[in-house]
Amino acid sequence: MSDKNNYTDANQSNTIECLNISEKRVGLFVTCLVNTIRPSVGFASITLLEQAGCTVEVPAAQSCCGQPAFNSGDDEGTRQIAYQVIEQFEEFDYVILPSGSCASMIKNNFIEVFKEQPGWQARAQHLADRTHELLSFLVDVCNFKPNGVELDGTFTYHDSCSGYRSLNVYEQPREMLSTVKGLEHKPLNGHSECCGFGGTFCVKYSDISNAIVSEKVENVVAADADYLLGGDMGCLMNIAGKLNREGNQKITALHTAEVLAGLAPKIIGANDAS
Amino acid sequence: MNKQISDMSREKIFSAIQAAKPTITADAKTIEDEALELLKESEFARPQLMSADATEALMLRIDAGLVIGTTCEKISTLDMLPHSVKQFFNKNALPSELKVQSVEPLNKLNWQGITTDIDIVNDNTVGLCWAEYGVAETGSFVAHSGPEMPILLNFLPLYLIAVIPKSKILHYMDDYALIANEMAKKKQTPRNMCLISGVSGTTDIEGVLVKGAHGPEVLHIIIVEDE
Amino acid sequence: MQANKPENFTQNVTDALAQPDLKMIIRRTTDKAEAKRSDAIANFPEFEKARAQGQKVKDHTIKHMEHYLAEFEKNALAQGTIVHWASTAEEASKIVLDICREHKAKKVTRSKSMLGEEIGLTHAFDNSEMERIETDLAEHIIQLAGDPPSHIIWPAMHRSREDVVKLFREFHSDPTYSEEITDLVRSARRDLRTKFLTSDIGISGSNFLLADSGSSCTVTNEGNAELTITPPKVHIVTAGIEKLVPSMAHAIPLLRLLTRSATGADITQYITFHNGPKRKNDADGPEECHIVLVDNGRTKMLAEGMEEMLRCIRCGACMNHCVVYKHIGGHAYGSVYPGPMGSVLTPHLQSLEVANKQTHACTMNGRCEDVCPVNIPLPKLLRSLRAQSWEKKYEPLTNRFVVKFFGVLAKRPQLFQLFSSCSLIFMKAFSRNGWIKYMPFTSGWTRNRDLIEPETTTFMHQYKKMKKSESGGS
Ligand code: SF4
Repeated sequence: MSDKNNYTDANQSNTIECLNISEKRVGLFVTCLVNTIRPSVGFASITLLEQAGCTVEVPAAQSCCGQPAFNSGDDEGTRQIAYQVIEQFEEFDYVILPSGSCASMIKNNFIEVFKEQPGWQARAQHLADRTHELLSFLVDVCNFKPNGVELDGTFTYHDSCSGYRSLNVYEQPREMLSTVKGLEHKPLNGHSECCGFGGTFCVKYSDISNAIVSEKVENVVAADADYLLGGDMGCLMNIAGKLNREGNQKITALHTAEVLAGLAPKIIGANDAS
Repeated sequence: MNKQISDMSREKIFSAIQAAKPTITADAKTIEDEALELLKESEFARPQLMSADATEALMLRIDAGLVIGTTCEKISTLDMLPHSVKQFFNKNALPSELKVQSVEPLNKLNWQGITTDIDIVNDNTVGLCWAEYGVAETGSFVAHSGPEMPILLNFLPLYLIAVIPKSKILHYMDDYALIANEMAKKKQTPRNMCLISGVSGTTDIEGVLVKGAHGPEVLHIIIVEDE
Repeated sequence: MQANKPENFTQNVTDALAQPDLKMIIRRTTDKAEAKRSDAIANFPEFEKARAQGQKVKDHTIKHMEHYLAEFEKNALAQGTIVHWASTAEEASKIVLDICREHKAKKVTRSKSMLGEEIGLTHAFDNSEMERIETDLAEHIIQLAGDPPSHIIWPAMHRSREDVVKLFREFHSDPTYSEEITDLVRSARRDLRTKFLTSDIGISGSNFLLADSGSSCTVTNEGNAELTITPPKVHIVTAGIEKLVPSMAHAIPLLRLLTRSATGADITQYITFHNGPKRKNDADGPEECHIVLVDNGRTKMLAEGMEEMLRCIRCGACMNHCVVYKHIGGHAYGSVYPGPMGSVLTPHLQSLEVANKQTHACTMNGRCEDVCPVNIPLPKLLRSLRAQSWEKKYEPLTNRFVVKFFGVLAKRPQLFQLFSSCSLIFMKAFSRNGWIKYMPFTSGWTRNRDLIEPETTTFMHQYKKMKKSESGGS
């Protein structure tokens, strides 16, 4: 954590609100990778949020947070997506995403593209203020402690960049995972080093991305754990995809929410079957 | 010809700056106040010193090995200096040859047994310099160029001794900078102000530190309590 | 080694990744730099506050650039320095060469400055009748090897000890036959010593320009700047206009940040403020002193909302901590300034058209901003350059098409869901044992890694079904 510069979180004061969280409506933005590749993360998110006492709704008309357009420099394209996200989600008390990078997109970047539209910028800011990454929300706002979850084995943790650097997600997942019976943490060398995913980066500069993820995989293998956990599907898919390409089937990549919601055994079982 | 290019460029640069949004025109007094505001004590973040006493802090820092290639000692009076210098020769197995900065306090000393006016261009010679200031924060001594201070004296010899009067040892680099700011105001800035903190070193070949890259390899600081 | 061009970035990257020992070569420098920096900061608990102060000093000076430049000029003239202005790199190097020619210089010693490289001084001298002698050890090595620099702090980090042994044996007048690093450094010391003392002109850069005195400041560990500047008759400083600070007291907090961020040291061994030519009775020093103040894109950065980049104190921390730099190295960028700071600077020094690919070669992981001692939001600046490239259509057509296509879907959630469901069917067709090894349109991904097999239907599909059965059941 030596190079972190903002320890203060904009949402520190939320401890007061967590007293009556059940009255708050939570909008879940599942994100496109969870929607297409890993729906179980979406269901795990609902389970955890409900366990934490939230009333969860999933707006049907959702798509993408706009990162591909934003990171490609397509401001107009980003705005088109942002209009739609803002309209869908601004009514909720909280907007939750099971991804640090998508949460950070809404929290930090929407306002960037509305510099010349003060009205929309205000709405984007309003949305940003109530948007959270799932794992940090559960701990920081809901004061949630998982109960009765069991999983035998060891895990190592990859801190995805946006979560770690822009949203201060670090302690929260570790704290929750420490309550899982039978699960033991193994440190990951370079735990907060980028895995080389970077959205469009990993296809645009596939070979650089490959060099980066290869190194990540070396570290993951060296950690010698059964599970690789994280809070962003993009990174997990990237690392898991490289592990598999290298013929390593010993390590299973799971989203932290899947473990905390007790879905891990089912997912592992399904994997084994295939 | 170049004068013309330069003048045109000057105009271009200034008008581009005036046109740019982030810059603002303000009167000199406002700007000066704003600049002083940045130097308010509350703005500063300084590393912790090893002692509240500046001399002690400087010596502790050197003793802890934090100033590359440097050792130090304290003598109570200046006339003990030639003796200390002789010890330095012995320790480093050097011939008793010394290039002494030609400055009043050093000229007055009895250098008996030491050749004092040698050529410093070649290596294996020892230079002796009378420092203007010492800085505890960084374990530095400060040299000012002048009629009596050839700057090269600090750079050519392989061995260097710097003498700092105890009364001139400051706590932080900022303390020295404020003195420099005053000199600038009075238009009395010397040509060179060198803040020297250790010996000439390089890590340019495979990251390995080598001392004595171009200048001194060994630096000995002698603090004089009572000049 | 021929210098790479920024416009050939993609090819440069391929070449770099094909070098088997490149990663080892880079890491032996950057790993150490990272570790030492983090120790230095652990020993300076108020680093954050120092950073805030450093940023404020820079921002204040940038905001009042006009005032401070005029002050600097006035005070430098009062010290007896001759002040020149250059809008472009070409102008700057022409001014320097003309000064040298006026003095009929034969030998010119130079103390490393990135600005000197930026304005093409090295090449200008090599194409002239004058002999250029680099005095920083790393610059000396790359001069002998004919290489461009690969890092702004350690320009010769790509050269091994064996390379140096060969170079020194070939070029030094009294070379060593030892392969010990200490002996190699001594060989350079012997070789350069006479050159320092017989040079006609000494050229340096400047880490800070002090407006209140007209001083320029050099920061080195070797002490080569003072040895370059003092013996010759003429001293020429070249400096970018962003180097200004109000006074020495304002430079100190930045120095504390610079050395810790660059090498992890609390301070460098030599910090010297140079104030014009030799005073009347001075024991040594140059008789004439020139300073060339260079714009070369800096006012353009000011005008184009890139003023935060002008805070840069060239510490190199952003490249030491950049995952991309750490894999491709400095030469791939094809510019004097590599890594994150280079990817922002080069488009302004050259043009966005030639240097836009670099702005995309970033995962936006934010580590550079985290370590930057003056809080430059490098990812934000890179992104805004991408926005400019998008506007100017520098992006390859296929990329534009994919992003546009995805955007069209993303703003129509129903269509998006339909497309997601269809792509699942498509993906399923290519899965074997839970993984996709190859699939059309995803070669960027599957070229180097497998794609995890998705579940049968989308989350939305499953969720709707679940809701329906819940309400049906109640
Ligand atoms: S951008 Fe920041 S980190 Fe990079 S060289 Fe400049 S000051 Fe250092």
